[in-house]
Amino acid sequence: MKKIFITLSFLLGIGILSFGQVTDQFVSKCAMNAGTNARYLKDFRIQLGKSSAQKELRFKANMSLWKNTKYRFTMCSTEDSKGQLILNIKDEANKIILSSFDSKTGKIYSFVDFTCNKSGIYQLNYDFTNGQQGSGIGVVSMIK
Amino acid sequence: MKGRILLFLLILFTCFSCRNSANKASEFVFPESDSVPLSEAEKLSPEAIADISKNISSPVEIANLLQMLEIPFGQDYIASSIDANKQSTSFDKALKLGILGADLGYLNMYEKTGSSLDVLSSIRKLAEDIKVGQFFDFESIKRLSQNRSNLDSLLFLSIDSYNKIDTYLRENDRGQLSALMIIGVWIEGQYLATQVASQFPDTMLIDRIGEQKIILNDLLLLISPYCNHDSEYTALCNDLNNIKDKYRDIRITYTQGDPVSAEKNGGLVITQTETSVVKMSKEQLDGIIGITKSIRDRLILNN
Repeated sequence: MKKIFITLSFLLGIGILSFGQVTDQFVSKCAMNAGTNARYLKDFRIQLGKSSAQKELRFKANMSLWKNTKYRFTMCSTEDSKGQLILNIKDEANKIILSSFDSKTGKIYSFVDFTCNKSGIYQLNYDFTNGQQGSGIGVVSMIK
Repeated sequence: MKGRILLFLLILFTCFSCRNSANKASEFVFPESDSVPLSEAEKLSPEAIADISKNISSPVEIANLLQMLEIPFGQDYIASSIDANKQSTSFDKALKLGILGADLGYLNMYEKTGSSLDVLSSIRKLAEDIKVGQFFDFESIKRLSQNRSNLDSLLFLSIDSYNKIDTYLRENDRGQLSALMIIGVWIEGQYLATQVASQFPDTMLIDRIGEQKIILNDLLLLISPYCNHDSEYTALCNDLNNIKDKYRDIRITYTQGDPVSAEKNGGLVITQTETSVVKMSKEQLDGIIGITKSIRDRLILNN
């Protein structure tokens, strides 16, 4: 019994460590693929289940964006995700100033470049298309 | 019951009034009270604290702006007097971990990777002392610094290590150290920006200094629960409140406009036409430069 417990604990530990490494590699790959002129700033790691009723993008985070800076928002989804990672950004007045998803045409952009001219704290909202289940990374970089 | 509902509505109204006042007036203002009430800070959820931590700008952004303005690198801006072996309290260690993290970002952006090795060693020592050394990938960062081959990977690994430390500290009830680290990063970034501005008074850089008013309250929210922890924390809270006082009369106004979008190379390009405008006099700027220098110099000499 003790042996089984130790073996299970060991396997679980290995599993957790491997998952951590996989996540790090995935983040690193996504960050590095943002482009040669892009400098990594931050990343947001998103893991969501399927949503039954979707009104708003579910993953929310705040970030200060500064005037006279060009940002690149890159979205990467893992292969096993059912939906594709999308982003919209709202300002402090709750107005959407950027969306990687064109609801009229259905087009999804894997990256969006944003020239910020108004410094402030913005809300970054991520989700997977149609509220699907998925895992992904949102990378924020500066463009030189 | 009626009284409770009325009280609830009053609180709700007050909260929304504070949060949206900047938008209505098209001007950024501090909340009414002179300082962040302790009770408000204590009520912050772990998610809200995580949000604030992520929200504070990266020192890499300041370094990027300096590069964009073609301002030469200055070794004198680095906090080289910090001796990692002489830091006795976890307060000192965490704060200096932040200060050196900002310096590392500055050195990396200017590709002064040779000079960054000393800073890296100090960071490693401080991180190990507060039991977060496992999150700092020292060997990889050192290798990338020596090779000078891949700045992107170097920046990613350095920033990612700090993010991991920050997350670990917050998730393990050591939020006070996380707050100190973030404040250390901010103070050093602010020191760098103000010192450069005193030598190269570029409008864009001066505006960036003025715009720090936007996040000052969040910094105070992070540290407020610990202001009465001991004399070191109290002094730091007073320092930040003194900086806040210097920002009180600086005005940030906004102009309206809709974003313009276009497609380029398979991606979407959006240009914001709304703008923020900083109104800050020479005296106000000098006041910020002065207080930042005196606080930062005192903090790094506090061995």
